[in-house]
Amino acid sequence: MKKIFTIAFLLIGCTVMAQDPVAMLQKIDENMYSNTKITKSKMIVYGKRKNKEIVMEAYSRGTKDTFSEYLSPAREKGTKMLKLDDKLWIYSPSSDRTIQISGHMLRQSVNGSDMSYEDMMQEKKMVDMYTPTIKGEEQMNGEDCYILQLDAKVDDISYPKVKMWVEKKNYVPMRQDLFAKSGQLLKTINMEDVRPVNGRFYPFKMNYKDVLKDGKGTDFIVIEMQDNVPISDNVFNKANLKK
Amino acid sequence: MFEFLFKGLIRDKSRSLLPVIVVSLGVSLSVFFVGYIEGMMGDMVDQNARFGTGHMKVMTREYVKNIAQKPLDLSILDAGDVIDDLKQKYPEVDWVKRFNFGGILDVPDENGQTKTQGIAGGMAFDMTSNNSDLKRLNIADNIVEGRMPKGPFEMLLGQGLAKRMNVKIGDQITYFGSTMDGSMSFQNFTYVGAVQFGLSVMDDKTFLIDIKDAEQILDMEDAVQEIYGYLPNDIYDDQEIEEIKNSYNQSFANDEDEYAPQMLALRDQNGLSTMLDMVNTMSSAFTFFFIIAMSIVLWNTGLLGGLRRYTEFGIRIAIGESKRDIYKSLLLESVIVGAVGSVFGTILGLILTFYLQEVGIDMSDTLGNSNVLFSNVIRAKVVPTQFWIGFFPGVMATFLGALLSGRGIFKRQTSELFNELGV
Amino acid sequence: MDTLYNIGLSFRLAFRNIISSGLRTWLTITTLSLAFVMILFFNSMYTGWEYQGIRDQVNWEFAQGQVIHPDYDKLDPFTIESGHGKYEKDAHLTPVLIRQANIYPDGRMVPILLKGIPADQQIVELPTQLLKESKANIPALIGLGMAQDNNLKVGDTILMRWKDKNGTFDAQNITIAGIFETNVPTIDAGQIWIDLNRMNQLTGLQQEATYLLADAEYNQTTNASWNYQDKEALLKEFYELIELKRGGSSFLYGILMLIALIAIFDSQVFSVFKRQKEIGTYIALGFTKKRVTFLFTLEGTMYAFIATVVGSIIAIPLLSWLHEVGIPMTSNVDQSRKMGITVGEYIYPLLTPELFSKTVFWVVILSAVISYLPVRKIAKMNTVDALKGKK
Repeated sequence: MKKIFTIAFLLIGCTVMAQDPVAMLQKIDENMYSNTKITKSKMIVYGKRKNKEIVMEAYSRGTKDTFSEYLSPAREKGTKMLKLDDKLWIYSPSSDRTIQISGHMLRQSVNGSDMSYEDMMQEKKMVDMYTPTIKGEEQMNGEDCYILQLDAKVDDISYPKVKMWVEKKNYVPMRQDLFAKSGQLLKTINMEDVRPVNGRFYPFKMNYKDVLKDGKGTDFIVIEMQDNVPISDNVFNKANLKK
Repeated sequence: MFEFLFKGLIRDKSRSLLPVIVVSLGVSLSVFFVGYIEGMMGDMVDQNARFGTGHMKVMTREYVKNIAQKPLDLSILDAGDVIDDLKQKYPEVDWVKRFNFGGILDVPDENGQTKTQGIAGGMAFDMTSNNSDLKRLNIADNIVEGRMPKGPFEMLLGQGLAKRMNVKIGDQITYFGSTMDGSMSFQNFTYVGAVQFGLSVMDDKTFLIDIKDAEQILDMEDAVQEIYGYLPNDIYDDQEIEEIKNSYNQSFANDEDEYAPQMLALRDQNGLSTMLDMVNTMSSAFTFFFIIAMSIVLWNTGLLGGLRRYTEFGIRIAIGESKRDIYKSLLLESVIVGAVGSVFGTILGLILTFYLQEVGIDMSDTLGNSNVLFSNVIRAKVVPTQFWIGFFPGVMATFLGALLSGRGIFKRQTSELFNELGV
Repeated sequence: MDTLYNIGLSFRLAFRNIISSGLRTWLTITTLSLAFVMILFFNSMYTGWEYQGIRDQVNWEFAQGQVIHPDYDKLDPFTIESGHGKYEKDAHLTPVLIRQANIYPDGRMVPILLKGIPADQQIVELPTQLLKESKANIPALIGLGMAQDNNLKVGDTILMRWKDKNGTFDAQNITIAGIFETNVPTIDAGQIWIDLNRMNQLTGLQQEATYLLADAEYNQTTNASWNYQDKEALLKEFYELIELKRGGSSFLYGILMLIALIAIFDSQVFSVFKRQKEIGTYIALGFTKKRVTFLFTLEGTMYAFIATVVGSIIAIPLLSWLHEVGIPMTSNVDQSRKMGITVGEYIYPLLTPELFSKTVFWVVILSAVISYLPVRKIAKMNTVDALKGKK
């Protein structure tokens, strides 16, 4: 009798192990963040009257540091952005000025997209911020997914609750719904086109949508991605902005 | 009879000249008063017209829906075509481009690091010298430090903002904001002068740049946020504006495009219609009381005119004229005096009004302080009312005066009247 | 002594002379009084407008003064984020906390200022009792201007997004519990008012304020690290604006004065013409020409005296009454809100003693000058001709 119980317990334990939400979240983090990454991507802002495409190249290191440079359109070419920890600077070649984006300005939209500067400022791994629970399974954006509910375990966090659809095979998020403290849905991120990059899996297309605003949201499409390539520390330096 | 009286009037200066002068003066004052009140009330309208509403304003339909937010992304594209069309349809109206936008001004220190930074509201208009809008906005006269922008990318700040940003003439200021479609926009400007607007709302938050620079930084070449229209001489005319608005909007009635241009009249904006109605009521009340007062003065004049001639009436009765005839001639004379005085007065009043309409009296030297928002130039406005209003106090009151003073003729004995001959 | 007696006599004579002329004197006096009343009226309207602006700003926005957090600068929106802090409770202070938030009318993001004020406050006229009465989850007050700009009505709900003290997003529907109509645009445009307690719950900021509204008994020494500004300091700009606007209107009084002066001038010319015999008689009786001139000038000035008395009898009760009931100006509130100036819906004319005495002074002085002009002729008269009534 005892044995049966033990086996049953072990079995249950095993299933739990296989679906350990924390482990799952760790895997997601592993997919999404790498030590270093160089990405060339295209941002498509859907406006009411016309759409806009911006191509940029980004160098990132862990979760905290990113350096990016706009490649097109001509007007924006050469604009650089450096995020170190919780600070963000923008450099514009035309004015040869570097301006730190802080406080009030962080609420502004990035290039007219549905994403604000503060949305770019998330700097912790999800596993450090949220306590996950598995809420079920569902197909999302063409993939079989687990539904994860993430509840904040730290105070200083933008979105205290996230609902995430995680693709079962490789633990890539296919969709995230970001909620306010009250439970009000604020933003939705839909992912597709998952591709392997150096052993990780990454969605090559993302749509970022502020659900409170009208419109189709903003697409981010990865054109090229290099993972775990050495990036000189000089890149993540304010001096690099002016180069 | 008429000719006889007229000759008499002309020959006897005390009977004609003084009353005519007084009537003319009174009438011209009344006429001028109407124009002045119109002008003064127009001043209140003007302040809105110059900065916020134009006499009329053309925007896209979508923009109009969200007008409180001044959304740049809903601006008029193909602005050149729209303006050409407006100029062709309404050549007498001055059509000008304007921009109102927000952004961050950042002043660097010697190392290029941010020294001061602030949120500010930008306003752009055509600053080319001798431009109508430049004169209209009266910025040049209210520069408290520095000069008007001359070259590209020069910037004026409200004086409060300049102080807060801690800038000196010649300093660099970087504008950081977004373009029409939301892209980041950076531009270095040279700070060339500070402006006194007269309201801290503007002094502390506004910067001014040339329209071309604005088009550049907002990425709006051949696009325009708002097109302002002003009637000739910037004189507000409710009716004409309404007509232009209706005919213009009518011409787009079949256009389904939500970004088709739409014209708003001044009174459609900022809840100005109620203010305008109030202004009208007020000015009518002012005018009414003034005319009453003037009428009493002229009534008095008429009365005096009659009284001083009692002796003459005595003689005239003595030589056989009937009291009734004398009374009739007195009344007729008063009408002649009133009419002549009114005509002269109206002409004089109109000339005065016209002068103040076209030239104005600049009080800023007398008053000492001047600023952009509140004009210190006293202006009047010629209105149709002025052509007839003067005849009320002019003719009616003098007539009434004569009517009353003439009663004495009947009341008194002939001998009494004769007595006043004082021989 | 003798001169004093003579002057006294001249006064009595002048008074009798003009009163005895009957109708035409009263016409002149009516005109003068009318002008006098009009001048007082317009000026009182102006002063009333000014005082009302002050009163409205005090009643709605400034209270008797404000104690402002040292990091907060109302002209610099950057300072809202950090310009608030713990305050010490004081029975004479009412806290106001400002946070930034967004609302989404028609799917466009509109940034607003969220202001918290105790619902049971009495210090400003914001109808905060509506916040207490409302059963809604987050009842809010907005100004009419804000309501019009964003098409909001009482009872509407609209989603608002804000960040709590940790920077965590929160968003909930707020319910418009009341729309207030104020002449003070700076508490209306782009602002939403909620109960401070509710705001504390929503933001997690407890006992914090951006500024504190002081009542009359507040003793400013108690809160040393915050900046105290009394209402005079807060109103400084408004005073300057009034001064500026006052200048232009003086021209109007000039014109009004002119009609009255024409009336006097007219009467005087007539007097000199009509009363030559009388003038001759005075001289024959031993009056100097100077004294006769004085007498006649005095007569003219007497019109002004009587007119100011008559005018005052009309103007003072009238204006006092209007000061109580107000003159409706329809509604130019929208206009004032857009321009950021305070103009009332009713104007309550205010006749100050200063204004009154100033007006009396000018009316009398100008009348004296005008009365003198036609009378100068007397000095040139030939006494005998004058006696005969000849020119």
